[in-house]
Amino acid sequence: MIKTGTLESSDCMIELSPASARKIDIESIVLEQFGEQIYGVIMEVLDAYKVDKIHVRCMDKGALDYTIKARLKSALALWGEMNG
Amino acid sequence: MLQHADVFESDAVIIDLEDSVVIQKKAEARRLVFEYLDKFLPLKMEVYIRINDPSTPYFLEDLALLDPLDVDGYVLPKATKETLDIVTKHTKKPIVAIIESAYSVVTLEEIAKEKQVSALLLGAEDYTTDMNIERTVDGEELLYVRSKLAVTAKAFGKEAIDTPFTAKDEEENLKKDILRAKNLGLHSKSIIHPNHVDLVNQLMMPSPALIDWAKRVLKKKEMTQKGAFSLDGKMVDEPVIKKAEQLIEEIKKYS
Repeated sequence: MIKTGTLESSDCMIELSPASARKIDIESIVLEQFGEQIYGVIMEVLDAYKVDKIHVRCMDKGALDYTIKARLKSALALWGEMNG
Repeated sequence: MLQHADVFESDAVIIDLEDSVVIQKKAEARRLVFEYLDKFLPLKMEVYIRINDPSTPYFLEDLALLDPLDVDGYVLPKATKETLDIVTKHTKKPIVAIIESAYSVVTLEEIAKEKQVSALLLGAEDYTTDMNIERTVDGEELLYVRSKLAVTAKAFGKEAIDTPFTAKDEEENLKKDILRAKNLGLHSKSIIHPNHVDLVNQLMMPSPALIDWAKRVLKKKEMTQKGAFSLDGKMVDEPVIKKAEQLIEEIKKYS
């Protein structure tokens, strides 16, 4: 499993693991207000990186979009190194 | 913390990718900084990034990702003429050279001469480590290096930036530290805690009394049309007039 980010305030932790299709789980202190937006950011990055068979778990502590993007991109870079 | 960078009213911010980032987190930190700046630049203050020095494998990775960003420059740790030669081959951005070793101090002119170097910044923690001397509250051990840095920066038209004061809550000692540096000719100070912004801004600026004096010098010069005259019982001639003019110019920068 790949992990990036932290569980500090204004940050998020991203975990990646293999899956048969794209699967996204979001745990957030602001899920009700921003859940859709977080989902959209994750989808946008996965689309840009053309990654489908992956399980993304996002544990959000109030991160802004740029932080979620950065943590996910870092995780995907490690994913790429591990999976060619 | 990044998104709070522009709320403290400092003139500039340095985002650190060097010592404050552990090796295992270099790539993550770099990516976070990129995404933040890509989204929020320009900020209302100048933005610098302290990159990793060229002796590390992270240097080229820092520049590969960050150089397209429109930041005001890089802060180069452990700067020497030799490392500057490498950095300037990879970027055209201005460089703030951190002077933090005895070798950098004795070769300071070579560093200051480099066109891309916009400022010299004293790094007292590493410098005192290199010199194997204790860093004290009085800062006597920094007298030579502060003086040399201020004079060299002035001679080559570069900014001289003082080292941070590392105790977060010692306001009186911070005040003395700022004034000590200012009196030696360092007109900027780096800080490591936002609590220090206000005091540094307040004390590094010319005092209201000094501004008033400068205005009166220039007014009297205009009135008398003489090269030398007396003000407040003191002789005012060309160097004093020049000092008053410089002061007024400096104030324009702050306002």
